[in-house]
Amino acid sequence: MKSLASLLDKRVLFLGGKGGVGKTTCASAMALAASRAGRRVLLVSTDPAHSTADIFEQPIGPEAVPLLPNLHGLEIDGAFEARHYVARVKDQIKDLFGHHILKEANKQIDLAASMPGAEEMALFDRIGALVRGDDPRFDLIVFDTAPTGHTLRLIRMPELMEAWIRALSKSRHAMLGIEQDDKSDPVMISLTDRLEGLREFRAQLLSPRTTAFVLVLVAERLPIEETARAIDQLKEAGVTIGGLVVNRVLPATSPDPFLRSRHQQEQVYLDEIDRRFGAHGKVRVPQLPSDVHGVKTLESIAEMLLTETQKHRNTENSLLKP
Amino acid sequence: MGFSKNLRDFLHGAAYGAYERELRLQAGELNDLFLLLCYMEVVGLPNPATLYLLDVYPYLLEQFHQWHRRMGMDRSPLGTLPCC
Repeated sequence: MKSLASLLDKRVLFLGGKGGVGKTTCASAMALAASRAGRRVLLVSTDPAHSTADIFEQPIGPEAVPLLPNLHGLEIDGAFEARHYVARVKDQIKDLFGHHILKEANKQIDLAASMPGAEEMALFDRIGALVRGDDPRFDLIVFDTAPTGHTLRLIRMPELMEAWIRALSKSRHAMLGIEQDDKSDPVMISLTDRLEGLREFRAQLLSPRTTAFVLVLVAERLPIEETARAIDQLKEAGVTIGGLVVNRVLPATSPDPFLRSRHQQEQVYLDEIDRRFGAHGKVRVPQLPSDVHGVKTLESIAEMLLTETQKHRNTENSLLKP
Repeated sequence: MGFSKNLRDFLHGAAYGAYERELRLQAGELNDLFLLLCYMEVVGLPNPATLYLLDVYPYLLEQFHQWHRRMGMDRSPLGTLPCC
């Protein structure tokens, strides 16, 4: 089994998967491991139902806070980002226009920012800035993402937005054509700026050197199906799949007949995972006797994610094979 | 210098003069399309780029004003865009 150790050299890691499979745990473990290896890591939760704070047992907010040496945490909050975004824009334009226009424009800006979707866009914009590497304090950004569907939409968004803005600048260009030069038109300048930002976001997202996506799943029917769909869509979008984490694998040897029977059921799914996702590196993480809390447990999980040969667990699994 | 500018203006007029009205009309239409694309949510269509257009809104306000005047409406037809 191939470990995920090589992924620690990337600049951007996404961990995704169905709800409840342990994305946050795996993302935290990866972030911790990278920080121990000397990289300056920012662990970012994009799931509106944040749980990173529970694992590290300390509050984390919409601004990066230090968690451990070399490791910062951040819980992205759409409403917070939207407010910030709006404040930034208002600040940008305040010296450019007269009082009257400014008053009306600010009204318009507030209205637009309260539209449905504005928070999601602000969140997207923040993620874009992080992926582009705008924050020089960090070498590696680990995204603990919201459940798969939401994240895949996010990954497609730069492309979508790019097409949209390009259409807008085309229309603006055709309109200016007769009277004015593109370079002196503030609207065109702003659009071009956006377009460049989006292009860079997409380039970094699709670069195999920079970015990898890790899919977390458990050995059950629905997570397997969702993982298959996610792999298809990520491939279609051109995002590199860094590997799979099969989480919460049951112990093979147990005196308890219930657990043994569960394990036999699980083995069917584990075989299916090996068969269907054979092309990707996979790591198994066993079911732990207690909840993941604090740095100690994370350390042991990180070790499982990063160790190349997982001897004891492999032998355990082979013991039960008929 | 003066002569070449005069010559250029003359040639420009000769070439475009006849079409200028048409071109301006077209530019006006393109302008309307652009405004629509920017203000889509005002007419009830979702606009994926709303947030990225916030900083160009003040520049467009004046154009929006011209548009509703051109369309024969003295006051802004949209309560949400009260430009005058």
